[in-house]
Amino acid sequence: MARVRLDHLGKSFGATAVLDDVSLDIASGEFIAFLGPSGCGKSTLLRMIAGLETVETGQIHIGDRRVDALAPGDRGVAMVFQHYALYPHMTIFENMAFGLRNAKVPKAEIETRVADAARILEIERFLQQKPGQLSGGQRQRVAIGRAIVKKPDLFLFDEPLSNLDAALRMRTRLELAQLRRRVQATMILVTHDQVEAMTLADRIVVMSDRRIQQVGTPMEIYARPANRFVATFVGSPPMSFLDATLGEGAGGLARATLAGGAAVDTEVPLAALPAGAGWRLGLRAEAVKVVAPGAGLVDAKVEFVERLGDRTLVYLRLADGSAITAEDAGTSRAAMGDAVGLALDGPVHLFDADDRAHYGPLA
Amino acid sequence: MSAASPRRSSWTNGLFVTPYLVVYLVLLLYPLLAGVWLSLHKADLFGGEAFVGLENFGRLLRDTVFLQAVRNTFYFVLLTVPPLAVIALGLAIALNRPTRAAAFFRGVFFSSSVLSVTIVTLIWRLVLIPDGGLIANVLHMAGKPPIPLLSHPDLVLPAIALTTVWWCLGLPMMLYLAALQQVPAELYEAAALDRASRWKTLTRITLPSIRRTLVLVVIIQCVLQFQLFGQAQLLTQGGPNGASRPLVLFIYEVGFRRWDIGYAAAASEILFGLILIATVLQYVTTREKEAVR
Amino acid sequence: MSALDRAAGRNPWIDRLGWAALTLAALVMVAPLLWTVGLSLKANGELLRDTASVFRGPYTLENYGSILARPAAFRWLANSLLVSLCTTAGVLALSSLAGYGFARLKFPGRKWLFALVLFGLAVPEQSVIITRHQLFSALHLHNTYPGLILPGLAAPFGVFLMTQYFKAIPVELDEAAMLDGASRRQVFWKVLLPLTLPAQATLGIFTFLSSWNDYWWPLISATRSEMFTLTVGVASSQINFAQTSGLGFLMAQAVFASAPILVVYVFFQKYIVRAVSGAAVR
Repeated sequence: MARVRLDHLGKSFGATAVLDDVSLDIASGEFIAFLGPSGCGKSTLLRMIAGLETVETGQIHIGDRRVDALAPGDRGVAMVFQHYALYPHMTIFENMAFGLRNAKVPKAEIETRVADAARILEIERFLQQKPGQLSGGQRQRVAIGRAIVKKPDLFLFDEPLSNLDAALRMRTRLELAQLRRRVQATMILVTHDQVEAMTLADRIVVMSDRRIQQVGTPMEIYARPANRFVATFVGSPPMSFLDATLGEGAGGLARATLAGGAAVDTEVPLAALPAGAGWRLGLRAEAVKVVAPGAGLVDAKVEFVERLGDRTLVYLRLADGSAITAEDAGTSRAAMGDAVGLALDGPVHLFDADDRAHYGPLA
Repeated sequence: MSAASPRRSSWTNGLFVTPYLVVYLVLLLYPLLAGVWLSLHKADLFGGEAFVGLENFGRLLRDTVFLQAVRNTFYFVLLTVPPLAVIALGLAIALNRPTRAAAFFRGVFFSSSVLSVTIVTLIWRLVLIPDGGLIANVLHMAGKPPIPLLSHPDLVLPAIALTTVWWCLGLPMMLYLAALQQVPAELYEAAALDRASRWKTLTRITLPSIRRTLVLVVIIQCVLQFQLFGQAQLLTQGGPNGASRPLVLFIYEVGFRRWDIGYAAAASEILFGLILIATVLQYVTTREKEAVR
Repeated sequence: MSALDRAAGRNPWIDRLGWAALTLAALVMVAPLLWTVGLSLKANGELLRDTASVFRGPYTLENYGSILARPAAFRWLANSLLVSLCTTAGVLALSSLAGYGFARLKFPGRKWLFALVLFGLAVPEQSVIITRHQLFSALHLHNTYPGLILPGLAAPFGVFLMTQYFKAIPVELDEAAMLDGASRRQVFWKVLLPLTLPAQATLGIFTFLSSWNDYWWPLISATRSEMFTLTVGVASSQINFAQTSGLGFLMAQAVFASAPILVVYVFFQKYIVRAVSGAAVR
């Protein structure tokens, strides 16, 4: 178990910058997820921590050691690769023992550690087989086992679930969560799947465009996204946005006025906000309800209806042309072409012209 | 920074390729370039060397022995490549099935390919000679007189071509077989359900599917047969009267019998140019194949 | 006749006719070989009068006895074995190192150098022979084993093959091994090299066969009988065909010289075919 510190990391491939001034402090024993779309730099960051990519600017500390100049094998990290990267010509036992042998761990100790890991992961009966004889899920366990036996300070997972089918992915996700309780180590998971990040991580690092966009617990990220990118990327369906102008409402709080004239009260003191125009109101689907026409804040037309069983997503178009998504009960009777009203039932998010979010003080 | 990262470019990484590159540069590239240099000189074994420009090439174009050798070489390619391409294709189509008998036949037709040219010519000399050869014996049984296959100027190249087809049949057959394996079985099943005849199946499915391999086989065989040497040198020494002297044998004789090495070097540059063209063609063909996949 | 042919209502007689033709072709194919074996089993004097005597007895092994009595053939066999084995080992070593270097490592001029090696694929041995012969004369390498072995090591095909093969191995494996604390040498030896075994086998067989059957270079470089390889040795007795000690003896020599490679072929047919055709397509 070790604390991990990233200080002002930068990296470019030729003329293309892939990471720009990334700093992060990870507590000992924490489970961190790097979440972002492909190309955002999250894998590069992970590989820099592992030592598979060179560090151009900045520093990496694992525990008290500065590691960015060390060879990958000397950093006390273990990694589970996207395509498992098991050695095809070695048995499962040899795969798991390879790193320990390189580290000159005594033979008896190697056998104990491999046996322990194999028991935890239920792969004991495969130990004498080659990776080619195993299914995808079994290979995944071996890859995890190969990481466990090294008793690393830091575990790195590079999209470990992306090669599994849906059912297996869910099971393995649960197993990863359980593994986390059993193994005392700091863990970093790279994923583009928000469900993985939300369910597994203590804190999520949302990345986009070479930078960290926000760091926070899953609920912080969901409830108080720092900017429009995070608000759109995390949460399904994505948040809807409406143009608004700001004025003063009750108690000095900002009041947003929509294009049709309807007003929405926010919880942000107007005095705390910068002057300027270009404001947007962000609404999650579950905060928008479908009501009878004229009965809500504003009227809209139903463009499309998606029935998910337990709930129904209703895609709407307002008179000024902006689009918004509402959530209705599973038994919703909304149909395409219907004229409906919209009511607000939940928190609203306020974004300035630079897409930054603004929130009132925490309750 | 990270010393172990192979992503970092460094001179020391080049050490892995250095041993081969040294051998390559000294034993292949240097002789090639020195050959170009030499071909511009009048040179002999005893160190006499005088720059003559393109005179050697001019001499080649006026040299009837050289021109005959070039003609022989092209004629030989024409005699061998079409039969090789066609017979091997027929064998491959007939033997492309998973039975033991087919495997046995494949083994038989490929077996001659592992023999060296000296053994092949030794065997075929005793097949071809009119004085007690196998063919002469067969003709004798049919009541016909023997034919002097190796000493008749019109028959000698066809005889050497026959030897060569026998020797080289295995490789193109195996190339075709590899290509036939890649043709999806569904195509044949669909054709059978459409009650397509054997001929239709062959011309509409099999041949179009292995078109690229056909081209490849022809090019590879052209390159190989262009380098004809051993069969002619061993069976006839290029005779009678130069009727079976190919280009490589010309180079060998001029370079190592007459020791006119500048002249021989010029002839080998012409050989190199011809092979280079064929190799570029082969490269283009194989690249296209990959692009389609 | 296959189920497919039946389904398509195709005439089964064409199939049977095809097999008959195939059998005939196979007979034509093996006839020269049987003829050779037959001649080798006959007394030289009898063959001198009439080679058709091969179709009837008596047969004798005396020609093979004559070979045993002449140590030169065994010397040539040993030379061939030594040269072919050394060439194969050398090509495998050089190609593996260079293939790994070109496929995995970065160094200045890498792309340019690889293109230069590819260019070598288009250079026929015959077109460099004059200057290579001069070079080996200057280095006093003619009629030596290094002189016979070295040219085989320059062929670029092995480097090309191994580079392609190393490139096909996922880089994730190198990275996993590096995280497992392996040095670059260990990554090469313990992880990558074992995975190239199929390519090593292909390249090894192809190189051995080419070297064993090579006639061109040893003919030019080895001029002393004790340095002949088997190909050149057999050729030397063939060129003196008129003065040779007899047809039967000559044919026994052909059988003796082809036996090793044919035996190897029978046992490793699958691998040899794969190696040779793989090399042709490259």
